[in-house]
Order: sequence, then structure tokens, then C-alpha cells
Amino acid sequence: MVNYFPNSSITHGMTEDQFRLFAIQMVSKMGFQFSAMLIALLTIMLGSGTISTEMETGLIQGVLSRPIRRYEYVLGKFFGLVLIACAYATILFVLILVIGAVFGLSTFTSLNFSQIFMGWILYLLLPIAILCLTVFGSVSMKAVPNGILMIFIYILGNVGGMVEMIGQFLNRNSIIGTGIFISLISPFQTIYNTMERVIVPNSQIAGNVMSGASMSGSGEPASVWMFVYIGLYMVGFLFLAIHRFSKKDIS
Amino acid sequence: MIIETVDLTKKYGNKIACDRINLDVEEGQVYGFLGRNGAGKSTCIKMLTGLVFPTSGSGTILGKPLGDVSARERMGYLPELFRYQEWMTGLDLLNFHAQLIKLKNKNDQIKRVLKLVGLEGQEKFKVGSYSKGMQQRIGLACSLLPNPQLLFLDEPTSALDPIGRKDVRDIIVALRNEGTTVFLNSHLLSEVEAVCDNVTFIHKGKVVKSAPMKDLLMDKITLTIFAKEISNELFAKLKNQYPSFQELSDGSWSLTIKSYDEIPMISQNLISGGAALYELTPHRETLESVFLNIVGDSKNEESGFVHQREGFPS
Repeated sequence: MVNYFPNSSITHGMTEDQFRLFAIQMVSKMGFQFSAMLIALLTIMLGSGTISTEMETGLIQGVLSRPIRRYEYVLGKFFGLVLIACAYATILFVLILVIGAVFGLSTFTSLNFSQIFMGWILYLLLPIAILCLTVFGSVSMKAVPNGILMIFIYILGNVGGMVEMIGQFLNRNSIIGTGIFISLISPFQTIYNTMERVIVPNSQIAGNVMSGASMSGSGEPASVWMFVYIGLYMVGFLFLAIHRFSKKDIS
Repeated sequence: MIIETVDLTKKYGNKIACDRINLDVEEGQVYGFLGRNGAGKSTCIKMLTGLVFPTSGSGTILGKPLGDVSARERMGYLPELFRYQEWMTGLDLLNFHAQLIKLKNKNDQIKRVLKLVGLEGQEKFKVGSYSKGMQQRIGLACSLLPNPQLLFLDEPTSALDPIGRKDVRDIIVALRNEGTTVFLNSHLLSEVEAVCDNVTFIHKGKVVKSAPMKDLLMDKITLTIFAKEISNELFAKLKNQYPSFQELSDGSWSLTIKSYDEIPMISQNLISGGAALYELTPHRETLESVFLNIVGDSKNEESGFVHQREGFPS
């Protein structure tokens, strides 16, 4: 059974109880990781053409000739998508917890309300942050190029986490700096990693295995300042989307 | 003035879409806005409706500066490329627009506009299942929803059959009678001729003529005369009375008169002057001929007046 895992040397010498804990942590982490990736891609699909497609088809003309301001239109679109993405994310989040509870996975049964709530908030923050950037992209370019660029930026975030981890492993500040810089461009992986630390704590061994399987980076925990930056990142891109759209000709 | 613009200009890079457009539209009239494809009509309408920002110049709509949101509360707009949410039913779409306008008596208004555009009983079907003509009708219904004081119609009958076109003409006339100002952009010149009080011609982004419809059409009747044996003396006499009297390339003659009452006198002069009169046909000038004269090619300038008559002796 050990051979099913990416790096069997990690599980070598474990007792049955230790291995069970390890397996539970792996399943929990993978559940969240894949669902988060699914939500990210769904959010990009939802948001990449939200404004540009309406501009291309002319649908927007009938709406913007009504007594609504440009910022109201952008915010209306944004919050509408936030509601859809958050509803979807919440369903997935709850399903993962329910499945974990049904199968008696200790990672879930040991969670308290505060952990679940915090994890849920961070889980929702991921699609919201992606939407801020995607809506800005939708004001600036057509749906397909925007979608491709957003997927690229999202994957870049994963790469950033890995680069940072490699830097820590090699103890090279320049590589760590590069990883952090990439995380500043694409902070989505940072949000996910923080969520994972909240909802699947004490999973250092499983975390290392996941990193080895190229699923994510697992560097140091993000600082409060990183979350301040993420907040500014989100508000900034939303503001830029409004600013750009307010000056755009609907022709 | 319900619409007033001063040197309204729109440039896209080096290309000038609208060049110093000056419009003065009085309240309660149907105002025609004509020009060839790419002349800048739709760009101008989009500047007036706040969708496109002018590069320079200024203007007011309903007493508010261009782009003012509050002016749009009393404004309706049917875009040229009408597209609506296909997944909505007609009723959903009208409810959606009623919410955007913050309409108070929306149920009554929705019933009113559905009846007006002839879509009663069709409102529960999805917009995506509508024919193009029905989609244009539902678009017109949306534009009429706020009971607008000013209505912009950009090619409102492009997808309609002749009966639909007549319906729209009747709606436009009814709106004018109720005091609504209609700003109409249409390529169907007969339609414009039938309903417009004033017309502005735009060519290559510039306003080339702006006049009341009656001034463009009513004061001018062209008389085409198929006659032979017109003596020099008779020619001189008619030329003296009608400076426009001239021989055309097909051997016929033409002159311009101001009233049909002049026709008996002209025929009497021709016969008493010894001419053999074969045919005398009055042509009231059409908007199409005016349009071609103003924005068309020079070779079409006489289009609408000169007809080759079969059997006329050469």
C-alpha cells in the first residue's frame, strides 16, 4: 500500500497508526487542493468574459443606456460572480467536510468551529481574489486571451510557492526572493496555503509529500502583511477595472 | 432644445468618426439622422446616449450634459445591433429593464409596451426563441418602457417585414403626437420621409445639410416634358418664365415648378407655341433623390427625375 504514495521513503518505518494519520492528512489535503483548483478554474471561466463578451455582442448597450453608472455595472457584475463562486465554493467545502466526517477522518472530526469558519473564509477568499483580477482582465481584453492569461497567472502562483520552497531548501535568498516576487504577482497560492494550514494543521509530513508531488509549495506561513498586500491587490484591481471601464467607449 | 451639441467630435486614432457635429433638436418632433454606412451616425447617437465619450466638443440632452445618468431616466434607446439576454423570457427582459430604470408601475407599463409593439401573448417565450423581427420588437418595447421624453431609434425596422415597419411608423407618429421627441436613424428613406419633421444629413463624419422635411421636399416639383417641335421662340419664352427649363440627354425637357397649379398654364403655352406634346409628368422630389444629391455620387444626382420613355420619337 505504501508504494501508492509518491515518495515511499517518507512512509518507511511508520507504525500502522502513524501511517493512518499520514494517509488521512494526504486525503484531506488533496481534497482541498483539487477542489480549490477546480474553483479557481471555474471562477476564471465565469469571469474571463463577463464584461468583454457583453461588449462584443452589443448586449451591454441596452444596459448602459439605462440610468446606471459604469462603476455600478462593474460592481454588479463582480458581486454577482462573487455570489456564484462563493456558493459553489461553499458547497464543495461542506461536501469535503461531510465526506471526511462520514468516513471518520480525524483531520475533520478534530476541527473546532473557529478552524472551520476561518478555513471557509480563506477558501472563499481564493475565488474572490481571482475574480478581482479576472474582472479587470475582462475590461481590458477579450474572453479567450483573458482566460488564458488568468490560468497562466494562477499556475504561476503555484510555481512561486515551489520556487520559494526550493530556495528555503537550498538556503538561497535570491531564489526565495524570486518565489516571493512571483507570489506578489499571483498571491492565490498563498491564500490556499494559509487555508490549508488552518484546516489541516500538523500535517508537515503530508505537506512535504504534496510538495514533492509538485502540487504546491509549502514555504513559511504568510505574514499579516502579505494579507494586507492581498487586500490591496484585490481592491486595487477592482478599482483599476472600474477606472478603465469608466473611460471605455462602448462602440 | 432637447438635444444640443456644439462641435461634437470623435476620433479613433487618426480616423475621425464625427467631425464638429452641431445639432439643435426641438422637443416633440421626429428628427431624422441620415447618412451612408460608416458616415458616423451610430457613433454620434452613442455619444448622445453616453456610450461613447467625445474627443472634443460638448452637448446637452434633456438639459443635462452628455453622459449624465439622470438624463437617461427619461430616455429610451434601441441600438442598431440589438442583442438581449437570450435566456430570459420577454417578460423577464422587460422586468429586468424596469428594475434598471427603477420603474414604479412596472406591470402596467410592461403590459402597455407589449401591446404597443404587438408582442402580447408572446412575452412568456424566451428571447432566444424569438425571430429577428420579434427581437427588434422586444427591443423597441424595452426602449419605450420608461415612457421616454426622448427616444433614440437606431435602425428600428431593419429586421421587420413591411407590416412591422408600418407598425413602427405608427408608433413613432403616435409618440410624436404624445409629445415624445424621436431621434431616428434609418436607411429606409421612405420611412424617414413619412414620419420625420426635420432631417440632418451626415457625410464622412460631418453634417452636410440640416433642414425641415417640408423645405427639402414640398417646395420643389420637377416637371418632365416629352415634346417635339419646340421652337426657339417658345424655348426662350419658357426659359424666361422658368430659368430651370432645359433639355435632357434623352431628348425630353425638364423644369422646376413650385405648385401643381402651374401645370395647365405650361401645357397651354406648349400647345399654343406649336409644340407636339406627348407627355407631361410632375415628380415631387423624394427624400431618396435629395439624399443621393447630398451624400451620393454625382452621377446619381438626377436619379429619380429622368426616366427613359419608351416609344418617344427621336
